Amino acid sequence: MSVLQVDCLKKVYTTRFGGNKVEALKNVSFSVETGEYVAIMGESGSGKTTLLNILAALDKPTAGTVLLEGKDISKVKEADLAMFRRNNLGFVFQDFNLLDTFSIEDNIYLPLVLAGKGHHEMAERLKPIALQLGISDILKKYPYEVSGGQKQRTAVARALITNPKVILADEPTGALDSKATDELLRLFREINANGQTILMVTHSVKAASHAKRVLFIADGEVFHQIYRGENTSEQMYQKISDTLTMLATGGDGK
Amino acid sequence: MRRGFYTKLAWDSIRKNKRLYIPYLLTCIGMVMMFYIILSLSLSPLLNDMAGGRTAGIVLDLGSKVIGIFALIFLFYTNSFLIRRRKKEFGLYNILGMGKKNISRIVIWEAVIVAFISLAAGLFAGIALYKLAELGFLYVMHTEVTYAFSVSFRAVTTTLVVFAVIFLLILLHTLWQLRSANAITLLRSENAGEKPPKGNWLFGFLGLGILIFAYYTAVTIEHPLSALGTFFFAVALVIVATYLLFISGSVLLCRILQKRKSYYYKPNHFVSVSSMAYRMKRNGAGLASICILVTMVLVMISATASLNFGAEDGLRKRFPRDINIGASFASAGDMKEENLEYLRQRIVEVLDDYDAIPVNLADYRTAALTAVLSDGVVRSTGDLQYDSGLADELWQVYFIPLEDYNITAEKKLSIPEGKCAIYLTRGDYAYDTITVPNGPTIQVAEEMEACELVHDATSSIMQTMYIILPNYVECAKAFEDAGTTLWTDWEYSFDLDVPAEQKVDIGVEVRDALLAEVGETEFSFSVSLESREAQRQGFFQLYGCLFYLGIMLSLVFICAAVLIIYYKQISEGYEDQQRFEIMQKVGMTKREIRKSINSQMLTVFFLPLITAAIHLCFAFPLINKLLLLFNLDNVLLFVGTCAVSLLVFGVFYVLVYRITSNAYFKIVSGQNMQ
Repeated sequence: MSVLQVDCLKKVYTTRFGGNKVEALKNVSFSVETGEYVAIMGESGSGKTTLLNILAALDKPTAGTVLLEGKDISKVKEADLAMFRRNNLGFVFQDFNLLDTFSIEDNIYLPLVLAGKGHHEMAERLKPIALQLGISDILKKYPYEVSGGQKQRTAVARALITNPKVILADEPTGALDSKATDELLRLFREINANGQTILMVTHSVKAASHAKRVLFIADGEVFHQIYRGENTSEQMYQKISDTLTMLATGGDGK
Repeated sequence: MRRGFYTKLAWDSIRKNKRLYIPYLLTCIGMVMMFYIILSLSLSPLLNDMAGGRTAGIVLDLGSKVIGIFALIFLFYTNSFLIRRRKKEFGLYNILGMGKKNISRIVIWEAVIVAFISLAAGLFAGIALYKLAELGFLYVMHTEVTYAFSVSFRAVTTTLVVFAVIFLLILLHTLWQLRSANAITLLRSENAGEKPPKGNWLFGFLGLGILIFAYYTAVTIEHPLSALGTFFFAVALVIVATYLLFISGSVLLCRILQKRKSYYYKPNHFVSVSSMAYRMKRNGAGLASICILVTMVLVMISATASLNFGAEDGLRKRFPRDINIGASFASAGDMKEENLEYLRQRIVEVLDDYDAIPVNLADYRTAALTAVLSDGVVRSTGDLQYDSGLADELWQVYFIPLEDYNITAEKKLSIPEGKCAIYLTRGDYAYDTITVPNGPTIQVAEEMEACELVHDATSSIMQTMYIILPNYVECAKAFEDAGTTLWTDWEYSFDLDVPAEQKVDIGVEVRDALLAEVGETEFSFSVSLESREAQRQGFFQLYGCLFYLGIMLSLVFICAAVLIIYYKQISEGYEDQQRFEIMQKVGMTKREIRKSINSQMLTVFFLPLITAAIHLCFAFPLINKLLLLFNLDNVLLFVGTCAVSLLVFGVFYVLVYRITSNAYFKIVSGQNMQ
């Protein structure tokens, strides 16, 4: 069953005085099945971020629909959007976006507190997640006291704790060193193996090679996709590299 | 060319940071202006032509000194805020290859520009507004003198020197700060201190303890004379406590709230409590300063306004009748009726020349001593020096003849021999009898609710007992036989139904007539005469002058408070910008965020005002006692001026909030609050 269904998505930006029109997304359609791990790749300016913003309901499409479990997210009322995001989506950002006024623990609790959950329930939910992500020891610390990798794992915990339908990750490895990157990608696979649907936007071949499926976006359209199938990460890496080379040399994949 | 380069850089950086520099410049200009105005008023030749002008000069001179010292402290404070904001810029220059020397040159040029603008504009504004300030001054002084437009050369040079020194000190401080920092710390200094604030138990509770102690001291003060010393002690305590509480106590409170999980993990508490801790940590000192300034303004304005508007009251209390004559005699024996009649005749002779008839006459003798009342025995303190520590046990005891009382009070009180009526200015008399050592023991027949003779200002300062009795002579003799010094005074006071100028003239002539008798009569006496009308102007001028200075100093303090508030809002704006964005991404609605930030800002903003109001409430009894020293015994008036100044200031404060929070939202919405 597909959890996320994107149909003929189009986004046109108009400059402030209505002069130039920029077509960030021309016609994007794809769907994500429950339990999938999808990476979306593309160069800068290909429309990745625009796509993610629309999926996150932070931006509205010019045309086309996004269905989350069959519900059109562009129909959600402005006032309910924040709550909708909170209840259905989990976010992991490139720059972590942790609040320095909160301890690690409180940062993770934030969405639950906003949803009005009781303290005991929050603590119960946090326990297994913190264990899995290896952050049980640093819960009382503050963001400024921990490493980048730990910050990102905190952000993952914050995304997971609401049991979201989809986790949207925007360049999650962008600000990490290679060791922390490997660790995070391993965790993503593990989480995915537990049944969590993940949609990741990245331009890192290494990050994408861990996904079950990779979509390539170029010039506002889905250009190509690769399924992992029985391939190892290394083979995946090679395939993605080839595709990117083909894209860069201007070959026409269709 | 090179010099031009540095001046240009300095000028550019001031222009680029105009959001920070314009308020700073305005404050500098305002300080220079106020200093100049008050100083030239104190040096003004028009004081020479005024009764009480010299006192006014002293008060104003003191005022200019207060402004000078305050300017030094306050400009230091604001400048250090500016440096903190700009360290990143300096770090960037440093990394781009400028040495400390080059940066210092920029800083020096900036200081020169700031000093030049402040002094030029400040003096210009001061000279331009001086006339207006003078008119206001003359108005509160109840004086009409017109003087041509004038510039006091001495005031100009003094202002230049004082502020040049202040700016130089600030510059040296800045240079020292730069010297002790390297490129990296300069670059990072804006982001440094992101550590979570820790509540400091010791300081938090110390602050609370000191505050409670200060409040207790202020509320329990009994004695106006000891109030003066206590006042400064309590003020110092309250200032210390306010800083401790705002810096440590508030963070501690947030931490305690965070420990209470069922309270903390609620949507409307969660974000507020944790970011409040940060806000308080960064702004605690600033908020405490605002609170102190606001308290000072409120106390100053309400007290001096009470004095100013209660001046007539004070005058009447200090001088109960138009002409107040007091004659002191060497002994009770000299104070006999025929001698008094002789003096009365001298007075009446003068009055007859003016066809003036004395009305509302007070004509009574008193024999007084300072005593300790234990077991109902009036024990003289003898030559004991006055000691404020003893103040609460010492009594002024007045023996007054019954017949004199009846004449003055226009009553027909009858008390048998051996008994008396008493009146106490404070408390109740604990015994049934009054015993004069080596003399009679008198039964207390009646304790009066009020006494018509009591008017004297000292009676509200020293606790006083009046004993009205028929055998006055016997008691006085007993004291004198025992060698106790008695103050034997004859009070002869009256109102006159003639114009005010004549009252002044009569006062002078009566005094001359009586003084002519001193040393000429066979009995020895000394005399003092106080004429209400002659004192009126000086009286009003002293209070008017204090009121004027109160207003001027309040203006300076208010400017300072507004500037601190403005800087606080700006720095919070920059800090909240990023936090705002993150919260939105994590799933808070814009409305939730705005609501939370709004409520935090309101709390932080009105905390100083509310604390200041509480300070004022607790200071109230203390200041009320102090006003007694100024002959003001009008609690209602003081309550009124307190309430009005609090109200006016509250409205003004809200206005400042609206304006400065605009600056805040502009910064925050720079990115995402459209």
